[in-house]
Amino acid sequence: MTEYFEVLDRDGAARLGELRLSTPVRTPALLDDVLADSGSQWTADQPLPEGDDDRLTILPHRSLPAGTREEVRDAFATEATDVDFPSAAVVSSESPHELGADAYILSDAAGFVGHGEGLKNAIVRAKDALPADTAFVLSGVATPVNVATLVYAGVDGVDAKLAKVKGSQGMYLTNDGEAFLEDLDELPCACPACQQPREEFGQADCIDHNVNALRAELRRVRERIRAGRLRDYIEGQARHDNWLTAAFREFDSQYSYLETRTPVVRNNELAAATSDSLRRVEIQRFADRVTSRYTNRFDNPLVLVPCSARKPYSDSQSHGQFHDVIAYRGHTVSMTSPIGVVPQELELTYPAQHYDSVVTGRWSEDEKEFVAAVLRRYLDRNDYSRVIAHVPEHGYRDIVERVDTDSPLEFEYTVDGHPTATDSLGNLAAALDGELKYGKREREHNTVKAIADYQFGPDAGDQLFGDIEIRTTGRYPKLQVRDNDGEQLATMVPQYGMLAMTLTGADRWVDSDAPTKVVEIDGFVPHGSVLAPGVVDASESIRPGDEVVIRGPKAFGIGRAEMSGFEMVESTRGVASQVRHVRER
Amino acid sequence: MSKPSPEVYEDGRGMDAHNSVMREIRGLKEKHYDPHEPTRVWVDEDNTPGGVYESLTIILNTGGCRWARAGGCTMCGYVAESVEGGTVEHEALMDQIQACLDHEENNTDEPADLIKIYTSGSFLDEREVPAETRRAIADTFGDRERIVLESLPDFVDHDKLTDFTDHGLDVDVAVGLETATDRIRKDCVNKYFEFSDFEDACATAEEAGAGVKAYLLMKPPFLSEREARDDMVESIRRCADVEGCHTVSMNPCNVQQYTMVNELFREGGYRPPWLWSVADVLERTADVEAIVVSDPVGHGSDRGAHNCGECDDRVQKAIKDFDLRQDESVFGQVECDCERTWELVIEEETSYAMPLAR
Repeated sequence: MTEYFEVLDRDGAARLGELRLSTPVRTPALLDDVLADSGSQWTADQPLPEGDDDRLTILPHRSLPAGTREEVRDAFATEATDVDFPSAAVVSSESPHELGADAYILSDAAGFVGHGEGLKNAIVRAKDALPADTAFVLSGVATPVNVATLVYAGVDGVDAKLAKVKGSQGMYLTNDGEAFLEDLDELPCACPACQQPREEFGQADCIDHNVNALRAELRRVRERIRAGRLRDYIEGQARHDNWLTAAFREFDSQYSYLETRTPVVRNNELAAATSDSLRRVEIQRFADRVTSRYTNRFDNPLVLVPCSARKPYSDSQSHGQFHDVIAYRGHTVSMTSPIGVVPQELELTYPAQHYDSVVTGRWSEDEKEFVAAVLRRYLDRNDYSRVIAHVPEHGYRDIVERVDTDSPLEFEYTVDGHPTATDSLGNLAAALDGELKYGKREREHNTVKAIADYQFGPDAGDQLFGDIEIRTTGRYPKLQVRDNDGEQLATMVPQYGMLAMTLTGADRWVDSDAPTKVVEIDGFVPHGSVLAPGVVDASESIRPGDEVVIRGPKAFGIGRAEMSGFEMVESTRGVASQVRHVRER
Repeated sequence: MSKPSPEVYEDGRGMDAHNSVMREIRGLKEKHYDPHEPTRVWVDEDNTPGGVYESLTIILNTGGCRWARAGGCTMCGYVAESVEGGTVEHEALMDQIQACLDHEENNTDEPADLIKIYTSGSFLDEREVPAETRRAIADTFGDRERIVLESLPDFVDHDKLTDFTDHGLDVDVAVGLETATDRIRKDCVNKYFEFSDFEDACATAEEAGAGVKAYLLMKPPFLSEREARDDMVESIRRCADVEGCHTVSMNPCNVQQYTMVNELFREGGYRPPWLWSVADVLERTADVEAIVVSDPVGHGSDRGAHNCGECDDRVQKAIKDFDLRQDESVFGQVECDCERTWELVIEEETSYAMPLAR
């Protein structure tokens, strides 16, 4: 429950927010200038502060440091105080509890910052217990090198206390670590404090520089959140301190914490440049949905092809050549690291056309095993008469052969040297000789149904569009799905390969057996968006970017979620969902 | 997880929790001690109202503090050094005294004028030191100038003190007050008596012709560096204002095994105070009537009061010098870059953001 904090944008667990003080503060940010401490109750009873809109007043507290045992934590837990000014409460990450504040400060951060697993446990525990729409603050622990990871984990506010103290100790901080000032021949920074000869740079300058460096890093992090690309940055930057790499890997292992907060679609690139990219929610989710929701509806042979650097694949030269040979006689599925296998119908679907990986032809064992596992699961779920593996030596071929060994299917290999070599393409043509072509209608229907499977759940394509004669209009990839009366049900969004429903489509969705994601709202008719306070209930399965039905006593609508279902329910501020179409009822 | 309630403080749940945790922590220890040997004994120099004396300090092993058996103070590991079983017989205690006299003979040219007896509990508690033993010890040291006896305020009574004053000894009762702030003593240290009990003990001592030396604890757990510093400045002033309290020994908390402080320290939630804080407090209270001294144990180590590692010995030396001469100008003689760090810690450290520097 908060009036003075609002989450404006999300990138996984990271959030761009606003502390709504008389001068608003864009978070994640340094809060030194706005935090006002009302004092510790360990020393004396503290009077209830008056508070004001200029500052975030820290309510009187009994801070429990790292290592405080449970009995003592319980006996000295701080009580809730109801105030009407912007307030922060201090809680321990070991026993966090809601106190009605706009922000929460964890009293034991010094104990867990520096330990990957400790940070993960503390954050997950605290986030679980505290309301989703309150700001999350760590005091006395931020440095330029760790702050991106702290924000990635879900922290909204930090301060410069530690950076200053380290500066006074002659530790020169940068976003790639720290160095003893005396060991530096040059100052690797151009901030105002560093605009002077090395030999004149002293203790006070080092303090100033550290604060500047922390401030700059927070700007970078905020920009990354706006761009939806904080994870790409973390995978590289966190490498500079091993505990930070451990920390984000710990969060990868805590899949549900990140998954519930990670959007299902984005409009921007996803850089897959490290072995950790394989464990990203977006990658894991794609592989999971392709192997547990998607169903192949073509009767043609499976043609496995290598991915292309150019996205969507069909725009690439190599896939153009494959396409010319296959000529609608095979179901083309691209093999790729790190996202696994991509059926042709899903080549636009996030992140299939958004990821960019580093192509050297060298595959790591992790990559091979991941793609092989996905392909194995894919073949378990989908029936094909034949499997034609049009894949080159090394990597691809190695993976297919691993799967081939345990598969009852006969795999046919058609590549001789390079996949686009004349001989290879000739082999592929020969393999497909005599196979029947599928038509445009079948292709387009299967595409929108495949996307529906992927987006809404297993069999959703048939549950939504199977029992009526649908028609597709428009030119791929801008397809419209219509019913037999010509009424539009949905549009395929080319930017991220998902369906956007119409009201008629939403009616069908609600009536179908496909699982729906519903935002229950109060008795009003939303226009443009639904704000969190208007949400009565929301499906737990809703993720940012999900297509959602909006339903209330006065309105029925369809739109795209801006936050996760649990956040819609817990939040008192912020846009819960955009509304595309609405009708009064 | 239990919900917080306003009754917590009043109904003593905090103390129950501290005691229960401390009992459990202490249960971890597995050391045994010989009841015929003192815990420790050493020869030193001390500043008293009667001047600077050579001193013989005795830590008697009396079976340990009664309060510590209930749980006890959050920073005190001395109970871990007491004998098993809880009581030590008169003969054994007198063997310990003999061992101390032997130590003195081997380490001094002539008998020390000042005798200091600590028990890590209360020397005046007859369950620790029976009346017979107390009188025998008074006889043993009756020819010295001055004697310091450690006791909680409850056990300070007229007749016990006259056992010593009757020999013509100057008597000081050493009381572990820890802080003049009742809230901090109770919730951070987990000591059960109040400042008013200390005032009463001072009055009793004075009537019996004895004086009181208050022992203060700088930076118990849960306090920031500034809160700890300010608490000491105020405590010293309040103690010095109490009639009968002529000396204040203000000692930085150190991290002892088998204590709550040790657990916080290990998990990153506690740092002993800076030596600069000790110096700062002594400097700020140099104007008080009482003698103010400090003896930072384990100075310079991670578990004791420390600065940056470069200047610890120099600052410690200034503190020891101040102890003997009470001249605050000694602190103007020491400087170090880490003073700026300490100032920042004083400015920036809060109990939800600590420790800021190791």
